[in-house]
Amino acid sequence: MMDPIKRNVRAPGRTPWQREAAGFMLGFAVLALLPFVFADSYSRHILIMAFIYAIVASNWDLSLGYGGVFNFGHLALFGIGVYAYALLTKLAGLDPWLALVASGVVATLAAVIVTIPILRLKGIYIILVTFGFAQLVMQVIISQSELTGGTQGIVRIPGLYLFDHNMVRDAKIGYFGIALGLLAASTIFLRMLVRSRTGASIVALRDNEEYAISRGVSLVRQRLITLAASAFFTGIAGAFYAAYQRNASIDVFGMSLATIVLSMVLLGGTGTIYGAIIASFVLTFFGEAMADFGAWRPMITAVLIIVVMLVYPSGLVGMIQAAWAGLTGRLKRPA
Amino acid sequence: MGALAEILFGGLFQGSLYAMMAVGLALVWTTIGVFNFSHGVFMMLGAYFAWQLVEVGLHPAAAFPLAVLATAGVGWLLQAAVVRPLIGRANLVLVVVITTLAAGSLIENGVLEIWGPRSKQLPPLVDGNTMIGSIGVSLHQIAIIVVTPLILGALWMFLTRTRLGLALRAVAQNEDASQLVGLNVTALYGLAFAIAAGLACLAGIFMGGYRFMSPVMGADPLLKALIVVVFGGISSISGPIFAAYLIGFFEAACSYYFGLYWTPALLFAVLILTLMVRPEGIFSSRGRGLA
Repeated sequence: MMDPIKRNVRAPGRTPWQREAAGFMLGFAVLALLPFVFADSYSRHILIMAFIYAIVASNWDLSLGYGGVFNFGHLALFGIGVYAYALLTKLAGLDPWLALVASGVVATLAAVIVTIPILRLKGIYIILVTFGFAQLVMQVIISQSELTGGTQGIVRIPGLYLFDHNMVRDAKIGYFGIALGLLAASTIFLRMLVRSRTGASIVALRDNEEYAISRGVSLVRQRLITLAASAFFTGIAGAFYAAYQRNASIDVFGMSLATIVLSMVLLGGTGTIYGAIIASFVLTFFGEAMADFGAWRPMITAVLIIVVMLVYPSGLVGMIQAAWAGLTGRLKRPA
Repeated sequence: MGALAEILFGGLFQGSLYAMMAVGLALVWTTIGVFNFSHGVFMMLGAYFAWQLVEVGLHPAAAFPLAVLATAGVGWLLQAAVVRPLIGRANLVLVVVITTLAAGSLIENGVLEIWGPRSKQLPPLVDGNTMIGSIGVSLHQIAIIVVTPLILGALWMFLTRTRLGLALRAVAQNEDASQLVGLNVTALYGLAFAIAAGLACLAGIFMGGYRFMSPVMGADPLLKALIVVVFGGISSISGPIFAAYLIGFFEAACSYYFGLYWTPALLFAVLILTLMVRPEGIFSSRGRGLA
């Protein structure tokens, strides 16, 4: 059992890793078995989209929830992944698999570039600069229309192949497998990072910056690590999205997508990684269930986001934790 | 001479619009300490209100002030619905970003449902065109350049000379002390939001008079207002106003010499450099304090 003193600390490393690994394997197994239940290509498309959202949202949780860095350019990193893949495969003729990884590297580099101006900033200023960064990446893509197609976007982007096997065949089972694999890799990476000493120092900087710095934590280094780490799988997810959809458009920089993914992070409860993943699934399936509402869908979603934020600000994971605490009779610190 | 006149005029004109938007953002930030991401939507909604009022036959001189009042009312309501209940939460700034974004999306889609996607246009403030030196300009643009400083001046007088304005500044400086001396802080929060929304509506009316209106017309001005407040510092009203004109001139010069396409990238480069040297903006100190 857990040490009674450490029990109430909501910080990485609370759950024994064996137990977390077991839970992870269980979740992975359930998701891996889903294609046997949903054999049609439409259901699998929804699942693939949910996985992509989950990767983007959970990586955002690293910078936003753990790092406390209000990076509002996170979706731009996703968009950079989309366009990096599109340009690398279409213009440079790079192998799609190489381009997938390269897009992650490009997004990481972009994250490093945007981190430099926000190193000395706090709170609202970081929101402003990163938001401006996202909008300006979009402006540059629109203005360089000879390369990027401008507002028209890029079509017929090469998809992913494995020994001449098109991943779309057999009701998208190939893409489903890759998406799940990427989500698993990203989640393992994120959880290992937040459970490590580096993760602890990132949280320390968030909770008490002055004290953390006085104990020898480097703000510059840790913030660079946080942003760069959150960008890698986000960029790969963007590249995968481009390969899967086979087109790229500037819609990925729009406010509506950013609002949806941000609400996944906040709805799930920040600083958990798993919360963002669960909320991504919930919101994606919920969005599909409301497909019949047409134009009313974004409005219903908006109202729901507001209601959840007003009623339960600590999100789904906070809700589950509270329920669990109630069941086991333990008193836990509110998230 | 032609180049200079064009840059000066373009800068003054764009700067006026940016100042109108940025002041509202700064007003809400300084009094409540939150960032209103539905500010661009206020601008759009204000323009549509004005359009609707003109459409039912009102003279613009009556329609425009009514639209400003209506938008201010919406601003007050929005504040009461998605900002006030959250005050006191630990991650207030972040949660308000998401609630105002969501509220903005709600209004934007609502406008699309009510008024449809077809582009509309408002009557200009003043009809006609004229020549300044060698460049042709519309009287509407000149009216904007003249009216904006007057309105901003009036706001300045309001904040520094009237009891209500002083109360707003008191809340911005020290909330607890304001409460202790009997100021109705909640009502003042609403007032700040209402004034900001009214100013955004004016910006929308200005813009709707020379460009086609659409439900997403507020997105770009919001972005520019964000850049302006980062540049000028958000903790005062005067900083963003100066910065708005400075960025207006910068943009006009950039698009004259380097072309419209490179202007955003150059603007961002300047922004990054500014933040690396002076993170609190060039005209501002770090503290919160109105005016």
